Amino acid sequence: MIIRYRVCRRPFARVAGRRNWPVNVCRSVLRARPLAIALATLAVLSLSPAKGLAGTGMAPTHASRPSWPVVREVARPGNALGKESFSDVWRGVRAGRAFKLSDPGLGTGVLVRSGGQDWRNRHLLLVRRYGGVLILLALGAVASFFVFRGRVRIEGGRSGRTIARFNQAERLIHWFVAGVFILLALSGLILLFGRVVIADWLGKAGFGVVVSAMMQTHNLFGPIFIVGILAMAVVYLKDNLPEASDLTWLVRGGPFFIGHLPAGKNNAGEKAWFWIAVLGGGVLSVSGLALEFPWIVAELRQWQLANLAHGIAAVAVIAVAIGHIYLGTVGVEGALDGMVTGRADEAWARQHHDLWLGEMSADAGPDAERPERPLAPPRTADTPAE
Amino acid sequence: MTSFLGFVEGPLWAVAAAVFVAGAAWRIVGLLAIGRKPDISPPRASAALGFIKANLRHFYPRQLFLGRTFVHLLGGYGFHVGLFVLLLFAAPHVAFIKDRILGFGWPSLPRAGFIVAAEFAFAGLILLWVRRISDPVMRRITDRDDHVGSWLTFLVMLTGCMALGQSHEFLRASHMLLVDLWLIYFPFSRLMHAFTFVLSRGFTGATYGRRGMTP
Repeated sequence: MIIRYRVCRRPFARVAGRRNWPVNVCRSVLRARPLAIALATLAVLSLSPAKGLAGTGMAPTHASRPSWPVVREVARPGNALGKESFSDVWRGVRAGRAFKLSDPGLGTGVLVRSGGQDWRNRHLLLVRRYGGVLILLALGAVASFFVFRGRVRIEGGRSGRTIARFNQAERLIHWFVAGVFILLALSGLILLFGRVVIADWLGKAGFGVVVSAMMQTHNLFGPIFIVGILAMAVVYLKDNLPEASDLTWLVRGGPFFIGHLPAGKNNAGEKAWFWIAVLGGGVLSVSGLALEFPWIVAELRQWQLANLAHGIAAVAVIAVAIGHIYLGTVGVEGALDGMVTGRADEAWARQHHDLWLGEMSADAGPDAERPERPLAPPRTADTPAE
Repeated sequence: MTSFLGFVEGPLWAVAAAVFVAGAAWRIVGLLAIGRKPDISPPRASAALGFIKANLRHFYPRQLFLGRTFVHLLGGYGFHVGLFVLLLFAAPHVAFIKDRILGFGWPSLPRAGFIVAAEFAFAGLILLWVRRISDPVMRRITDRDDHVGSWLTFLVMLTGCMALGQSHEFLRASHMLLVDLWLIYFPFSRLMHAFTFVLSRGFTGATYGRRGMTP
């Protein structure tokens, strides 16, 4: 400011002398020039309302139209009518308030759907954060089980005698669903956690390729899983209905019990896994259809619920599946035989499913104790023709 | 310097296609050249008719075995029909055939039809492979060639499925690389059954047809 005054030769500088006080007052006013101009303009406008801005489009229309309801009716963001505070307007926008549109064909007039943000927050918390923790806990539990309990061996070793456990249809449908489930789980986990876990490692371009591939895979295999889980529910239902022995098995500690617990063909833990897989698979199927074919849901809210349900059911089923895979392969010696060959070792059956072994022996009579006839070795060129 | 996609759709594709055509022709000509021992008995019926009838007759199972072969039937038809529909009527495939092979195309399926065909093909292939590992007899007669052929076919289909978005060149290139490898492996494996099943059925049909019966 001082420099500007010097350039202007100090036009508003105070003049010495008592008689010059009016000059000094005027010059003081002029020194505060912007304020003075604003005050003068305001005075002019207040004396002649709506005349100075008439025709410019900036004049407050309520001056000529004093009816308040009309003003409220046409209220719109930007507070152009001046009868509502900006805070209230934007608070209304945030809360999903519907405004009047210049063209009714444009939509509902809702500028911000807060439900979308709420859904995103819930999704990030329930599915990504808690879901991730759940899967890590499942992996940790399996690792702890292996470290502290070790592999559950067949006491006394294999007997060499086997008993029919799963028929061809049961094995087929199990491995069919297992294969499709693994594809869906891997692609789903990458879609859900990929941005957090591998995006930095792959880079944006690489991650974009992976996500595109996983999304197509997930969408294509989803309907196949629906057919598989329906068939599994039908085929396995008869062996997974609750029984009295299941309660005993659960009360006495289930998988944490060291020793023998009486159990039928499937113990309570295996039955629980069946129902989790079937019911969880049902939720995944229905919600997955809503996600893949969004036009079948009535409104966005249902799609958001389907998305949440899909994520929660997926991480729950995957977490339990980790335990199932461990117990069926590494965790329990002899458990995999029944699902691969259809027959289980009798010593294994006596140790883990004694009630079922008793039923099978009673049904089959003394023949059940007969050793299985070994299959003939594969024929070679040297094998004589019969 | 050519891109990865340019390489797998260019030189490697040409080599793979040449190996496929030459190898498959060599196998078929070899089979035909074996010939068969002259049958000096008087024919009771037409051998040629037996050839045709046996080929058609084996497209559906005998009533006696329908229950036992149901899964095989379901998986086999699901996979093969699905695979041929998506191979011949998927829009990207029709465009490729037109641009790179024949010079002309034909109407392609809408996307929904293509996806349904792919669902059947995948479900059928998985079912057939699962049967291969879970059926005691199938497990015994399966060797490495069967697994390699099954998995190579599955990977070709899977990479094709991954490229469905048609938004990344790398995914298309991955699919084409697997296609090239599949074409090179084809003539030297049991994948040749795509051609030889006609000869196999026909040989049996002609032999028995000449004796007045259809196997």
